[in-house]
Amino acid sequence: MSKFDERIKNDLAKRTDKDVSDLKDEIWNGINQELFERRRSKMKRKKRLAPAIMIAAAAIVLAFTFQTDSGLALIKNIKDMFAPEKEIIQSIEGQDEPTDVHLNEGKDSEYIIYIDESRYKMVKGSESDIITTIEPLPEKYPEVSMEIKQYPEVKPEELVKQIEAELKKDFPELRPVESVTEPVEGFWLHGLTESKWDGKVIDVNVISNGKEGSFVITKKYFLEAAEGHGARFWHMLESFEIVE
Amino acid sequence: MLEKKWIQQIQAGDQASFRQFYDAYAGAAIRTASAITRNREMAKDAVQETFIRVFRQIGSYNPELPFDPWFYRILTNECLRLMKKEVAKLELADIEDNPSLSEESFDQLSDLYDVIQSLDDIHRIPLILKYVKGFSEKEIAEILGLNQNTVKSRLFKGRKKLHEQLQPNEEEGEFQ
Repeated sequence: MSKFDERIKNDLAKRTDKDVSDLKDEIWNGINQELFERRRSKMKRKKRLAPAIMIAAAAIVLAFTFQTDSGLALIKNIKDMFAPEKEIIQSIEGQDEPTDVHLNEGKDSEYIIYIDESRYKMVKGSESDIITTIEPLPEKYPEVSMEIKQYPEVKPEELVKQIEAELKKDFPELRPVESVTEPVEGFWLHGLTESKWDGKVIDVNVISNGKEGSFVITKKYFLEAAEGHGARFWHMLESFEIVE
Repeated sequence: MLEKKWIQQIQAGDQASFRQFYDAYAGAAIRTASAITRNREMAKDAVQETFIRVFRQIGSYNPELPFDPWFYRILTNECLRLMKKEVAKLELADIEDNPSLSEESFDQLSDLYDVIQSLDDIHRIPLILKYVKGFSEKEIAEILGLNQNTVKSRLFKGRKKLHEQLQPNEEEGEFQ
């Protein structure tokens, strides 16, 4: 390093010294508050977007949905409760990316979720719904999907243990179960098969369905896609709402 | 390697390890953010948000790649995002009698730090990354999403401008 380089380096250090000593503890307090203190506080019930009275009315409507033609018409009420589309700001690697997302109803209208329909589609099945890429990925890529499934009679505390035991077979390095509040409130499991570009990633949220059961949201992608599909699934899941 | 161990422990949500990681990384992160944003409050927000993102998004870090460029890419983007927001606010406020440092004449500047800060961002930010953290041209290119030759050229021009301002009589051979 030349004398001139040394001089630039030393001057930058000298002129930023005070900020380091002044800000270091203050910044840590903010981080600690945001990441750790909140976790310790009692988990708050996630607030519903729609007024409770409207949700209750929707439940009555749903009771008739599959029995009458008028029920099919009335189901549109759920769509009336939520904006059909909106713009969200997704943070992908620190870059804010405005994205239009569209309202989608889950199986039997048990929940809603906003989907980035420029990239993904929802495929409804008899047991669960799967959000996946619009066009199938070439064969060399591992699966990229987010499955949403309800277990009406198994509580999250019980279900998470079963899922953990099951996942450990394929993901020996599975992280210990965590309680999280984001993107949804409940239990969280995360695993990776191997640290290669195509290492399979599994990311599971087990949450209460508000009654005696659970919803399980299983995100599958691969290591190289973590900052893309992984981050986008995370943001879509933030919009998940149970319709009671 | 200590860094790998930290990453594993952060992935496991270990608070004590995260604090150790913070203590090791905060100094250079604050210096970098402070120099890039030229503003203490903005630097504070950028560094805080970066560590929070790192903790939450550590799962998206590819352990096969070096960690520091990943970390500094998040930090730099956060600084730029906050600066952009501030510029928008200033434009709205329409401040006319408050010229920024970059509008000052080089002739009025003798302090090296002030001369660095008088450069435009495309030359200033690579210099800050090089001299605060010691990043290579390749790493700076990765952090800023640029071609390595572009970084090389910007660093050269940036240093040349500094040199011309501070030591006009010195030979240009100093830069090579």
